[in-house]
Amino acid sequence: MMNNTNEHISKQIDAYVKGNLTEKEVMELWADFAKNPSLLEELELEVGIKKLVEENVFEAENISRAKNLQLPRWTWHAAAAAVFVMVALVQLFRIETKTEMSDFIVQSIPADQVETAEGIRAKDMVLATADSILNLGFSALVSGDSKRALEYFNEVIEDYDTEPYGSKAFTNKGIILYNDSDYEASVVAFQSALERVEDSRMITEKAYWYMGNALINLGRLEEGRTAVGYAYSQNGVFRKPAFLLLHKLNIELGVVDYEQTEED
Amino acid sequence: MDYSKFVDAVLQNDTEELDSLVPVISSVLMKFLRVRIGADFHDAQDCAQNTLLLTIEKIKEDKLNNPDTIIYYLFTTAKNDYLKMINRNKESNYEDVPDSHKVEGDQLNNLLDEERQSILKKCMMALKPDFRSYISYWFDNPGDEAVVVADHFGISVSNAWTKKHRILKLLKDCCEKKLAL
Repeated sequence: MMNNTNEHISKQIDAYVKGNLTEKEVMELWADFAKNPSLLEELELEVGIKKLVEENVFEAENISRAKNLQLPRWTWHAAAAAVFVMVALVQLFRIETKTEMSDFIVQSIPADQVETAEGIRAKDMVLATADSILNLGFSALVSGDSKRALEYFNEVIEDYDTEPYGSKAFTNKGIILYNDSDYEASVVAFQSALERVEDSRMITEKAYWYMGNALINLGRLEEGRTAVGYAYSQNGVFRKPAFLLLHKLNIELGVVDYEQTEED
Repeated sequence: MDYSKFVDAVLQNDTEELDSLVPVISSVLMKFLRVRIGADFHDAQDCAQNTLLLTIEKIKEDKLNNPDTIIYYLFTTAKNDYLKMINRNKESNYEDVPDSHKVEGDQLNNLLDEERQSILKKCMMALKPDFRSYISYWFDNPGDEAVVVADHFGISVSNAWTKKHRILKLLKDCCEKKLAL
């Protein structure tokens, strides 16, 4: 998920491309482009897609491809047989096909997933500096300032990269990047958390689970399946959603796992 | 883009910083002129350059230092410079030159170039069919609000935006990879 400012600008870009902005709003948007020229790339992309859609290039491509398919007649019999086999398999394994991958992956990671200082430290009144910075980051995030939160977590990474702070900060960084749809960078952050974590099953499970989701968002389904599998094997709070996602991934990748019935 | 850095660089004659900032500002101005006024590429390039020179002079004279004012000044000056250029080119028919140069709405297609469009087309074709169908529907119905798209695909409005954003990200990454080859 994007932060509120980016979300607003993205919606304004969408409205601009569709011709739904007033003159004043257009000039305000151009002022935003001047402040952040990379937003112009988003505008260019959307304009480009709209033009291709208007030109019906995809329908034309599909028709052209269909015309090029000069297959022998027996192929259609084989294809029909394959369909029957598939239908039978679907019935046999009771595979639900009316769902999309997006129904099973995390759309946005809630703020309560962010790692903060450990309670026991607070109770003992020995709050380390790194703990304080983690808490400041959490506070900034729940206030809607994800940019500031990211700065705090980066500060922990740069100055206090020891356990448990390093893995916590990288996990939190991964969460912010995931919510900003920067899945490549979030995978790197979760991976860094996993490389550091020593004795926290919660962080291990969380990092594998969200890293798996990020990988799937990137279309790297095999890697995503492996990561989600590790999250599932931690037998923690993500076991159920991990199981469902694994089930969907197995269908998508054509993998049959007979052990899946355990959760049915 | 931090315009206070631009002001500092001008005042301190920091050529290294200026060399990095000027092309970025110039690119935005050119796109502004191409889209909003329909300027052709070379006119937009000339006007962007003139505008930057005028802006730098203003900053040196200490008549311009507020970042928001600079943005407004850049756009206004670029537009005026372009209109003056049009006037100069039409001196023989001076009476016919309107006070403001009007085009039929913003020329957003002026942002596009052939190579990038060709790559974008390949990336669109490489999308999963349901993603391609989704994004095509989104842009094929320009009058529709996100709520209509959401309703059409049986998802929430929030998920409709998220899905659109995800597909744009996939396309952006794909284009960048292909352009880097």
